[in-house]
Amino acid sequence: MIEQAAYKRRWRPSRYWLAALIGGALFAVLVASSALSIALDSIPHRASLFGLPAIGLVVMATVFGLRAFRDREPAVRGRDLMVAGVLFGLGICSWLLVLDVFTFTQAAGPGVAAVSALACLPTTGFGLLVVRRLDRNEKEPWRLVLVAAAWGAIVATSLVIWAEALWDEGLGTRLVPGPALDVSSAFSAGIFEELAKGVAVVLLYLTMRDEFDDVVDGIVYGAAVGFGFNFMESITYMTHLYALYQPEGTSLALAAAAGQWYQRQVLGLFLGHATYTALVGAGVGVARQLRGLHQRLLAIASGFLVAIAAHFAWDAWAQFFPVSPASPLAVAEVHLRILVMVGPFTTVLLLLLGMGLHVEGTALARQLELEAEAGRGAVLPSEVAVLTSPWRRLGARLAAMARGGPVAYVRLARLQTAQIHLAMERWHRERQETDAPPAAEEALRRRVLELRAATASG
Amino acid sequence: MIRSHDDLRSLYRTMLALGAAGLLILVLGLVVFLRFAPLGQRTGLAARVIGVYAYDPVQRTVAGPAATRFPRTQPFAARVSWASLPSGVVVGATWYDSLQDPAGSVGPAPAARLAAGDGLVPEHVPPGLHGNLPGTYTLLVLRYADGRPVEILARTAVVVEHGP
Repeated sequence: MIEQAAYKRRWRPSRYWLAALIGGALFAVLVASSALSIALDSIPHRASLFGLPAIGLVVMATVFGLRAFRDREPAVRGRDLMVAGVLFGLGICSWLLVLDVFTFTQAAGPGVAAVSALACLPTTGFGLLVVRRLDRNEKEPWRLVLVAAAWGAIVATSLVIWAEALWDEGLGTRLVPGPALDVSSAFSAGIFEELAKGVAVVLLYLTMRDEFDDVVDGIVYGAAVGFGFNFMESITYMTHLYALYQPEGTSLALAAAAGQWYQRQVLGLFLGHATYTALVGAGVGVARQLRGLHQRLLAIASGFLVAIAAHFAWDAWAQFFPVSPASPLAVAEVHLRILVMVGPFTTVLLLLLGMGLHVEGTALARQLELEAEAGRGAVLPSEVAVLTSPWRRLGARLAAMARGGPVAYVRLARLQTAQIHLAMERWHRERQETDAPPAAEEALRRRVLELRAATASG
Repeated sequence: MIRSHDDLRSLYRTMLALGAAGLLILVLGLVVFLRFAPLGQRTGLAARVIGVYAYDPVQRTVAGPAATRFPRTQPFAARVSWASLPSGVVVGATWYDSLQDPAGSVGPAPAARLAAGDGLVPEHVPPGLHGNLPGTYTLLVLRYADGRPVEILARTAVVVEHGP
């Protein structure tokens, strides 16, 4: 509803062009990376067979794209372009997934890769669920959260393969083993991985402004990208170590893979990529509500800087002071070092989240009160206290379910969500940080009234 | 009415402070990098790795032609031409396994002393394993100064095959 109301074609600002430019540049890099993969024979030719669905999706996207340019009717053209864009994105992701699977898992075979993926799915899903719930006022749509995670898993991992390989070839091979090489590797991981992941948050900020409200949303999207990246990286390390130790016996190989799973999917689930990229998201989220261009750029740059530094610090530390498996305190060391090195960054992130939730909650409460005082019927004075508290909202929905069953629960949930959307829209409009036409707010209000009528009739 | 941006000021300032802290950490990293990889360490010296051969750890001899791939149960050793280096230069050579862990080395010692030996650099099977780890093993021939490796004089790699 918001999308429809907020961004009609004539209102689209230049940020879409910026997003298109970034997207085009990334596409060029990915095409080059893909071509290089095949040219260097690191991807078996049978990958082409598995890539056929991707080619089919791109062909279909082309058909819809051409049809859109032929069509004179703006509504039909817009729909065709949307379908073409979605199909094209799916095609690219499918192809990159094929490349990723072969690049990262071929040593251990598809069976081990599938088991590793299955082992990482519940933990990654848990992480996404928790982070999404932290956005207690206005949860981000699952489709965007999953797109962010898919970017981290598929696109970001593809982007860093060649960047890190080239860095290693250019600098790493000239350095003697020791602290300088460790620092070089940590710089490479920090810079390239955070840039590859962070660009997803920047693109969401540029193109999905309606669903990117503030620092809280930035943290949620950033963490989602991090979970996706961590998912693919975990599978990579699990399959790699399994393949290395498998000749020594399956039990040793399983233990090595399980150790990686525990370190990356339990210990490092929140204290790792999710924290780093959420810091990028925090910077972008703060920038979302700033007016001056230089302030916005500084906030975004700060987010990237602290994320790269956090990632760098962890990698450098882990390489300077590796945990010896022979040490009697090895288990304690593994836990302590991640708490000591990543814990402070996660703590700071939680502080930013708390500050963001406070600002957002205060603003929403004020807007809900103003809407109720206006007497337009979208928000009633008696509803303000309920809408400003996640627990009271839940309580009201449960009470509705007790009276009218699950349908009543869902209807009230939709009404509450629409009311909070309206308050959020009012907040952005008051701060002059929306380029949506004024009619968007009225459309949201009408939507609330429709939902209220449906709730009352049920 | 347009509210001021005061409510976001603390968030913005916190973000800037974090950015500054991040920058400081990265600069510290750069300082560490330059401390351990100072400029001007290149001497232009180059060592020569004659080849990598199947190795008998009991007899301490190599056999057969030079190879670039080995079964994981086959020990191997590199032969380095230490005599091609100035005799007083302190050098050494180390194998790194596919996890980048050291897997056998000789030196550091003056090149003349190493040249007096057989010139072999055998790799060692990781403790607790029956064979080498599959993957790429890399040999680095290094020059040392003040007890630390400072320059790579030669590099070669072999592949340990997957298998029983």
